[in-house]
Amino acid sequence: MRHASQAADPRRAPAGQRPLELILARNLLTHLTTPGFLVDAEATMVFFNEAAGALLGRSFEDTGQMRAEQWASTFGPLDAEGRPVEIERLALTEALRAGRPAHGEFRIRVASGESASIEASAVPIIASAEGTSGAMILFWSRGDAGGAP
Amino acid sequence: MRVKVWGARGSVPAPGPQMNRYGGNTSCVQLTLANGEELIIDAGTGIRALGVDLAAKRRIHILLTHLHLDHIQGLMFFPPCFRPEAEITIWGPASPEASLEDRIARYISAPLSPVEMRDLPCSVAFRDAPVGEWDLGGATIRSEAVTHRGPTLGYRIADADGTVLCYISDHEPALATSLRDLEPEWISGYDLARGADLLIHDAQYTDEEYPDHVGWGHSAVSDALTFGRRVDARRLVLFHHDPLHSDDSLDALHAAARARWADLGGDPAAVEMGIEGSELEVSTAPSAVGASAAR
Repeated sequence: MRHASQAADPRRAPAGQRPLELILARNLLTHLTTPGFLVDAEATMVFFNEAAGALLGRSFEDTGQMRAEQWASTFGPLDAEGRPVEIERLALTEALRAGRPAHGEFRIRVASGESASIEASAVPIIASAEGTSGAMILFWSRGDAGGAP
Repeated sequence: MRVKVWGARGSVPAPGPQMNRYGGNTSCVQLTLANGEELIIDAGTGIRALGVDLAAKRRIHILLTHLHLDHIQGLMFFPPCFRPEAEITIWGPASPEASLEDRIARYISAPLSPVEMRDLPCSVAFRDAPVGEWDLGGATIRSEAVTHRGPTLGYRIADADGTVLCYISDHEPALATSLRDLEPEWISGYDLARGADLLIHDAQYTDEEYPDHVGWGHSAVSDALTFGRRVDARRLVLFHHDPLHSDDSLDALHAAARARWADLGGDPAAVEMGIEGSELEVSTAPSAVGASAAR
């Protein structure tokens, strides 16, 4: 067996499709009433569900995909004093980098324009020895802002 | 590229007088590449008769989509397995649980089998299908995981003459989603099947049957057709027929599928049925639509 070269060849399939495990994770999130979002291996937010959209005040159809710095500047996370939290300190970052579930508490900007306290659990999505494909993050309001269970 | 269907049935062999025209053997397809090299996809019960046909063949490559019984059951009855000079390479999906060889050996071992893998006189090698593309027999192969129960691959095989075959025998791309509006990057199997000259795809259930089988890993006919249109396949072979579907019911399914394909903007003649014993010439020429029943 020899591996094919990667030279341009119109008969080769394009390589733009998401890994199956991300496709299935998105399908799952679509049907959950728990707010949740999905990031790829680069922490780009590639999907969030309607429950998350209700809390955030924007739908995924409105925002589309967002790079980490984009969603951080739009939604947070923020600390208790309303200051931005570094992405490196987030549960999802630990899930992506260490490949293990992580949990955190912080604040995010919600539909009302105010910030709300949430808890978030991030689960890495790993389907092969190639590494982490992304992470699924479920989050819950801690009660000072509506919209989440 | 030439394709011969040796088994188009799904789930379990379905012999019987009401199944004679479409056949009762489970999934197995033989490809003859432009350079004369041959590849086999899946080793359902159809591979037994193919093995009789390969009496003089020394090197044999079998690409398995997954290890459900209807895709490996014929291996133990594949005549080249019992020829010492045969060199068989079996490709299949990797699993973190056990090697491909160990997983297949669960079937070719007591009490399910009268012979053990080690008893086979042929030389047999097991290879995890590589991630990405690789060359085999002069064709460029690409395999990717697709939506089904358990580790399952689809294959895209691009021949040196420019023709492309895509084989996704067990696939439920519309599970919990709608294929009609979904962005391509979120459709299972999209890259594998995109622009294929011939797409062989799961169509196990009628639309009426599917609601009782959601999550079983197979497609309703209308989803197979929508998938075929979304990926812009030039020809579509409906495959993996339910064992309960008789010849007459498959005739009706075919007629409805062609009408639906036309509704979706396609040429109804481009929708064909997987028929055991049929041979199909795969071509890039727009007018090359046709199949011949060889049995």
